[in-house]
Amino acid sequence: MDFVTLGGNLLGTIPLGDIVLYVNPFNLFLFAVLLGFTALIAVSKPETQVEAAKFNTLDNAQVKVDEKEFRQRRFLSVICGIASAGAMITGDLFNFTLFMALVGILNIGIVSAVKQTSVLNSAFNYGLIAMMCSLPLFGGASIILASTGTLSLAVLSQMHASPMVVFGAILMLIGILGESGVAPFFASKAEMFRTPGSPFIVIIHLSSLFIIVRAVEILLLVLW
Amino acid sequence: MRIGVLWNKLADPKNIPRLFAFSLGIILIIGFIVPMALNPDQIYVRPDPQEQIDEGLALAPYDRGGEPLKEAGFINPQYPENAASLGMITGYMSPLAEWISSISPYFGTSIYSSPGGLVDEILYYTRGFDTILESSILMMSFIIASWLSINYTMNRKNDADEIKKDMKKAVNDSVHVAREVKANDAKARSKQLRRDN
Amino acid sequence: MVFIPPFVPETFITMYMPAIYAGLIVGFIATMAIAMKREEIHILILTDLVGLAMIFVVSAVGTDLAEALILPGLVVELAETLAISEILITREMRKIEQDPRANLTKSSSMFPQAFSLDMEIMTTAPNFIALVLIGYGIFLTGFTGGAVAGGGIVLHAISKKARGLPVLLLDGIAGVSGIAWCLWIIGFLLFFVAPQYWVLSLFLAACGLLLKVASKVGLIGLLMREDIDKE
Repeated sequence: MDFVTLGGNLLGTIPLGDIVLYVNPFNLFLFAVLLGFTALIAVSKPETQVEAAKFNTLDNAQVKVDEKEFRQRRFLSVICGIASAGAMITGDLFNFTLFMALVGILNIGIVSAVKQTSVLNSAFNYGLIAMMCSLPLFGGASIILASTGTLSLAVLSQMHASPMVVFGAILMLIGILGESGVAPFFASKAEMFRTPGSPFIVIIHLSSLFIIVRAVEILLLVLW
Repeated sequence: MRIGVLWNKLADPKNIPRLFAFSLGIILIIGFIVPMALNPDQIYVRPDPQEQIDEGLALAPYDRGGEPLKEAGFINPQYPENAASLGMITGYMSPLAEWISSISPYFGTSIYSSPGGLVDEILYYTRGFDTILESSILMMSFIIASWLSINYTMNRKNDADEIKKDMKKAVNDSVHVAREVKANDAKARSKQLRRDN
Repeated sequence: MVFIPPFVPETFITMYMPAIYAGLIVGFIATMAIAMKREEIHILILTDLVGLAMIFVVSAVGTDLAEALILPGLVVELAETLAISEILITREMRKIEQDPRANLTKSSSMFPQAFSLDMEIMTTAPNFIALVLIGYGIFLTGFTGGAVAGGGIVLHAISKKARGLPVLLLDGIAGVSGIAWCLWIIGFLLFFVAPQYWVLSLFLAACGLLLKVASKVGLIGLLMREDIDKE
């Protein structure tokens, strides 16, 4: 499918060698929303969670994020926001998979400093999936490269999909499902949110949401 | 099995990587029935594996022509119009690299390892953005790992040694208790023996 | 003399099928092994095998581009292993912290063991070898050079048994890596803003990458030294 049918008129391109970022109204909107949210995160303070304490005490325990942890988390969240914003406008298949891997590792990093073992447990399990995803993501992209001889989305969108391209796209799809934690692989990622520090935790959710929207667009461009 | 039981199993994070691995394996097997072939019309094509070695070029598998600082090498990227000084890096070799290639016929095998040459052109110039992202991934994971190790896992204040010391104390205590129990036991037995006699 | 043929040579086309099938088979074996294993540490090690299958599939294409694409794949795999194993250690330590008596012996085998390195070679040769390695790494520049120079730093670090390491030094190394990253970004942008200065950009990028990788490999070595000194 063409850029124009899917996202509106092409507003412009940013050529960086072989990797050409392109902007049309749809991608520009996603890009701007993510950047706005990232700016909000950069200036906000984390919330404090109140947890019901153990059975034998009466007072509630406050789960707080201390100063050092807060600074590390804010840094990683801002980078995560910028990375997912970059994934919105990239015009190269392999570049997109790399953005995806970057967002995946940042998602793990944001919760890596928490004290709850259940959260660390799910972060570890999500990390295992993210590592395995390198095979379907990069492998799928390179199968598409072998079949069509190009990685540029602008050229790929003009081509007719062969069975081999469809297989590459299916591989990429399962990589995207794992990396962004959609059903049926949701549990490990959903459990990662159960920790204080709200605005930073939400970027995990938001980045995978936006990336999956963008991934659907890219798969449509490649397949149709 | 009811669908509810299945969903409950899926809700345990521990099972998810294994489920993912299983479904990935199934899809990989599907690859065997898909007709696959390499499209001969590729970008960045390279010559036949042994061709340049047979011709005796010093930069054997990576010689793409060109003359350092004067003449561009040959390279066929996706968008030649986006790279103004295309091929110059491919043709470039640092003076040291040039000297080594003049005395050794095997410099091509380590052309990666000096500025200039074909791979540098792809990694830094035409697909430089990929390499930036790749190194950002490396940097982020180092930030995560080193932050954790400096602030927590290698932080000497809440060290595992403390726990070990406690354990040792507990073990000593229990040994002590066991010895006392044993002594009491022997005493009681001897008493019993005496009474029996 | 033909430097670049217009189409892919016949050799690569015939090699493609065996190569990609080998990749698929390796991937299948690795994923099935993960699906059958229960121990988490085994799964973590087996995921590296999945990464190997990825390298098969990418390199099957057999163009210069495929060769350049292998590097990001390798690095992503390495980086994720590093971060995730650190998270695994953290999780186990948090578990012990919350309940010191429970399963201490079972999980403590996962931690880096303190061990003493009392080899003669560690006291005589290392400074010289480290110097040679760092010098060679600087000559190489780029990713390979960074790895070689970093190896030199690691060797120097593990052979020196000085006790204790101020955290300030670690912060300094992380800072060097950040500066190197900026150098590289400037180099990359300069390629497009001012294409006539491509030599400058090339050296900015190559030296930035050298500093970055070397400082990181060195960082691993310094962290390792902390463990060795602990005893």
